[in-house]
Amino acid sequence: MADSTDAGEEALRRLMATYQPSFLAPNPALSETARAASRHLFSALRPFCPKSPLDQLLVDGFDAEQIWQQIDLQSQPLLSSLRRQVKHFAKNPKEISQLKVVPLGKKVEKEQEEWMEESDGFDEELEDDEEGEEKGEEEEGMEIEDEAEEQGGESGSEEESEEEDEEENGEDGEAGGGGIEDKFLKIDELTKYLEKEEENFENAEKDMRGKKDDEEDTEEEDDDDDDEEEEESDEDAEFGFADEDEEAEDMENARYEDFFGAKKGKYSKQKKAQLRQDSESSDDEDDDMEFKKQNKGTASTHQKQLEKIQSKIEQMEKANLEPKTWTMQGEVTAAKRPKNSALEVDLDFEHNVRPAPVITEEVTASIEDMIKKRITEGHFNDVQRAPKLPSKAPREVKELDDNKSKQGLAEIYEQEYVQKEDPTSAPLSFKDEQKQQASVLFKKLGLKLDALAHFSFAPKPVIEDMSVQINVPALAMEEIAPVAVSDAAMLAPEEVFDGKGDIKEETELTKEERKRRRANKKRKFKAAAVKKTGKKVQEVHCLTK
Amino acid sequence: MLRRNIRMRREYLYRKSLEGKERLLYEKKRKIREALQEGKPIPTELRNEEAALRREIDLEDENTAVPRSHIDDEYAHAAEKDPKILLTTSRDPSAPLQQFVKELSFVFPNAQRMNRGGQVISEIIESCRAHDYTDVVLVHEHRGVPDGLIVSHLPYGPTAYFGLLNVVTRHEIKDRKAIGTMPEAYPHLIFDNFSTKLGERTANILKYLFPVPKPDTKRIVTFSNQSDYVSFRHHIYEKHGGPKSIELKEIGPRFELRLYQIKLGTVDQAEAQIEWVIRPYMNTSKKRKFLSD
Repeated sequence: MADSTDAGEEALRRLMATYQPSFLAPNPALSETARAASRHLFSALRPFCPKSPLDQLLVDGFDAEQIWQQIDLQSQPLLSSLRRQVKHFAKNPKEISQLKVVPLGKKVEKEQEEWMEESDGFDEELEDDEEGEEKGEEEEGMEIEDEAEEQGGESGSEEESEEEDEEENGEDGEAGGGGIEDKFLKIDELTKYLEKEEENFENAEKDMRGKKDDEEDTEEEDDDDDDEEEEESDEDAEFGFADEDEEAEDMENARYEDFFGAKKGKYSKQKKAQLRQDSESSDDEDDDMEFKKQNKGTASTHQKQLEKIQSKIEQMEKANLEPKTWTMQGEVTAAKRPKNSALEVDLDFEHNVRPAPVITEEVTASIEDMIKKRITEGHFNDVQRAPKLPSKAPREVKELDDNKSKQGLAEIYEQEYVQKEDPTSAPLSFKDEQKQQASVLFKKLGLKLDALAHFSFAPKPVIEDMSVQINVPALAMEEIAPVAVSDAAMLAPEEVFDGKGDIKEETELTKEERKRRRANKKRKFKAAAVKKTGKKVQEVHCLTK
Repeated sequence: MLRRNIRMRREYLYRKSLEGKERLLYEKKRKIREALQEGKPIPTELRNEEAALRREIDLEDENTAVPRSHIDDEYAHAAEKDPKILLTTSRDPSAPLQQFVKELSFVFPNAQRMNRGGQVISEIIESCRAHDYTDVVLVHEHRGVPDGLIVSHLPYGPTAYFGLLNVVTRHEIKDRKAIGTMPEAYPHLIFDNFSTKLGERTANILKYLFPVPKPDTKRIVTFSNQSDYVSFRHHIYEKHGGPKSIELKEIGPRFELRLYQIKLGTVDQAEAQIEWVIRPYMNTSKKRKFLSD
């Protein structure tokens, strides 16, 4: 056995020492060493998982897939148990110091007392091996524990997907506190956190399981480290089994509900646990994320606000993708909205018309006050009669001339005397002049109107115009009167000659008529001369005799 | 008769078209008159026409000084002649509407009520013109409640369309004895708060439905305008004690009028020019008042 273990260790060492890229090319020697190393590890871990069906990793003649499956079988329950342990230690850090490296043989002894009482030698061998390999295995155990912590993936394929990863992680684990731990990542905190999570998970399972769990929990709490470990291992066994089953089931039946929790209660917590486990099964980055989340939970409000805003944004974006409600659409007819939906919505209109006035008593009172006021004033808006045009001519207003008379008193008397004597030669008065002007104007107007109204010709009316015509030959008047006017028109015939009867010229007269005219002439002349001289002519006659 | 009517209508339209020029002339004369009164120099644009216009100014009197518009033509003879009104309803009136029209025939002095029967509007208008009526008033209803009033002035005069609101008829008042009979004296008129041009126009249309009253009548008809709603009230007053104690007693129907259209033609002329029409869907119509300021 020691040989085998040595060989195994050597194989491990050799693997670690090889140049990494050489793993990429298929190499039979390398595969042999890898198989040997994995077998060694398997058997090293074998005592920790009591229920594992395989005692030894069957490597010869098996291909990679089959080897993986075997490793899987062993590691899955182991991981959960380790996780629980780590949690526990995270909660009670003092116990870590109290932790003794339990000789695996003892542990196994106890277990095998229950199951396999025959194989004592085996136990002893194991004991020896374990004592020799204590440290290494411790380390490995620790390594593996660390692995479990850091990687945590219960989907074991990830865990042992590559031996390289394992070993690298083992290396990392060895580096331990130095390499990984910085101000963010603290293994202790991590372990505590993991313990908590485990407990929550257990509590969930408690609800499902019932009394058994309670018993075991209480057992767990009561016992010491060693016993705890034992019972933990017992628990582990059962839980591992349960977990294994459950997890296997969960992996097979991973459904929508697991991720999105359609059914409340049962699956939501399982989902949460899975998510937690999923989150744990990632690289260092995720661990950092976890720690960051922890920090969020405790500290910055800005991050909280950001989260809130982001969730709001998501909600709004979701709402925008859906079709709008009918109230938000533009013109909605009755056909486009659900029945009677307009009754439920509080519709508000802007009325563009002033509403009809409600006739209250105040309004009536105000109107009546106004009416009373108008009555007292006597101010009404009645229809006024139009002023009729006067049918009678206005009475003559006698205008008195205030100015001083231009004529002297003697002249006034003279005019009056002349008026008496000869009524025709009266000077025109002021009023008469106006009247004359008016009549002249009216005659002109009348002429025009007649011309408009009649079809037949109407001659110009004679406007009597009194003016003195001088019997002057045309030559003298030439300048004044127009050429067209001859003296014949200016003077009427009787103005030229006024005579009566049959007028004869001298050539037309007979002898007797001539004599008669001469006799008349002489007689007239004598009469006129007698008038002038009187008696003088008779006296002259007497003296001469 | 027909040709005479056509000719008179043409005259009226022609004179309406001349209004613009007349108004210009009136404005010029007014400017000159003002300049002369104040002693300021006459505005330069009127220098050429100044002499002729001044002569005209000297010759004109109160009647000719004011420019005449077609509106004055419409009511030119209204002041000289008493109005003669014909009252009818829409077709198939209900009993409450008939009662209302009967009351209205007492409100307007010199009003005749006529059954509508199956007459066409154009027939009614023609017969009214022939019989020398000055106005036709039509009343419309909605399920017994009077809701429309159309006042049409007859020789091609304006037609005013009103909507009636809050109608309270005398028949609705149960206590008949308290009301008593309706007096038939010519009433005094009160028109309150008709300050815009349109308000004056509406007031004129309603005013010339009534004749010239005696100065001592006790009957008062009031048209009071409040934000484009005209309240019609009909009162009788008594002066008991001497000093300013007046008691008003309301008689007659009471309603609110809301003008929604004025057309420059009679009711039967559907294509007549619209002088004013209400615009309820304009955004600023809520803020504007058309009959008052």
